[in-house]
Amino acid sequence: MSAALTRAAATRLLAGRLTGEIVVANLGQAALDLQTIADRPLNCYTYGAMGQCSSIALGIALARPDLRVVALDGDGSLLMNLGSLCTVATEAPPNYALVVWDNEVHQTTGGQPTATAARSSLAAIARGAGIEKALEVRTEDELRRAYDRMLGEDGPFVVCVKVEKGRSEGRFTDRDVVGQARHFRQALAAR
Amino acid sequence: MSAGWAKHLADVLRRNDIRTFATVPDYIVSHVLEDLWADAGCRVVTVTREEEGVGLLSGAWLAGRRGALLMQNSGLGNCVNALASLNVASQIPIVLVISHRGDLGEFNPAQVPMGQATGPILDALGIRWIRPGSIAELEAQGDGLVKLGYTRSLPVAIVLPAELTGGKQG
Repeated sequence: MSAALTRAAATRLLAGRLTGEIVVANLGQAALDLQTIADRPLNCYTYGAMGQCSSIALGIALARPDLRVVALDGDGSLLMNLGSLCTVATEAPPNYALVVWDNEVHQTTGGQPTATAARSSLAAIARGAGIEKALEVRTEDELRRAYDRMLGEDGPFVVCVKVEKGRSEGRFTDRDVVGQARHFRQALAAR
Repeated sequence: MSAGWAKHLADVLRRNDIRTFATVPDYIVSHVLEDLWADAGCRVVTVTREEEGVGLLSGAWLAGRRGALLMQNSGLGNCVNALASLNVASQIPIVLVISHRGDLGEFNPAQVPMGQATGPILDALGIRWIRPGSIAELEAQGDGLVKLGYTRSLPVAIVLPAELTGGKQG
């Protein structure tokens, strides 16, 4: 069953609502779409350490409680670091929102199915970890309501967005990972 | 009451402006954690797996905070890819505090392979490390190591041998 939403459309819808939020994007498709659609100094793109997007965002959220932090993760990557959901629940930062683009495959490596294609639900896992505001979204209307809540209410939030399979149309033009980390750190320090 | 060496180590970290900590505790680093937990100026996050601490403290660094990860050397094995592809690749510093099981005096055979691999793994990642055998060595080298880490903007490691900590008796 293919979902009606695409990752690019969902990214575009989010980008239109962003103001001063920090956005941390998972390696691969999430970072490609975000950089292509809404590159901005307060975006943190990751290129390695698969699975660590949710934890990097947690570290930022705990260090900067004055800023809202949105992580854009993938189902394959979050499945590598499910324990981070327990840590998010325990620390319970109100400024933390984890969005998961769940296309039920390892997209970057050729579309091999993940556990969410079978029986596993990341929203249910997040609830089981202790995150009460864990939503699963399948339509644009549901997504708009979820964005309203996660950008307006206290979190932590996990918003699992069921999206269609498909690679990003973006291409990385700049892989200066050292320079990008330095520039992001400087942009954050200036806030 | 924490062991004498543990208070010195906590002080080395604190006087170098490290206030954010992540840990998967073990018997030995828990002596240091007692000092940090008791300090209202310090934040200690217990993570489920050491690699998660690498991500969390990397985020803290990007947000302007220095961080240290306290773990057993078994945890170093759980962190290798994140340390390489995040911290070394992007030059994000982090201080690793690693209790050294599996070396002199070890009673548990399962600890020995990672114990013997600890130094070679750190070397393979280009992570500068010290292994102070006494409080005097810790005091002589600790500040310099942490300073080097932030000068290079790369991870550094303090490996804690049984000679310093008393180890764990089987």
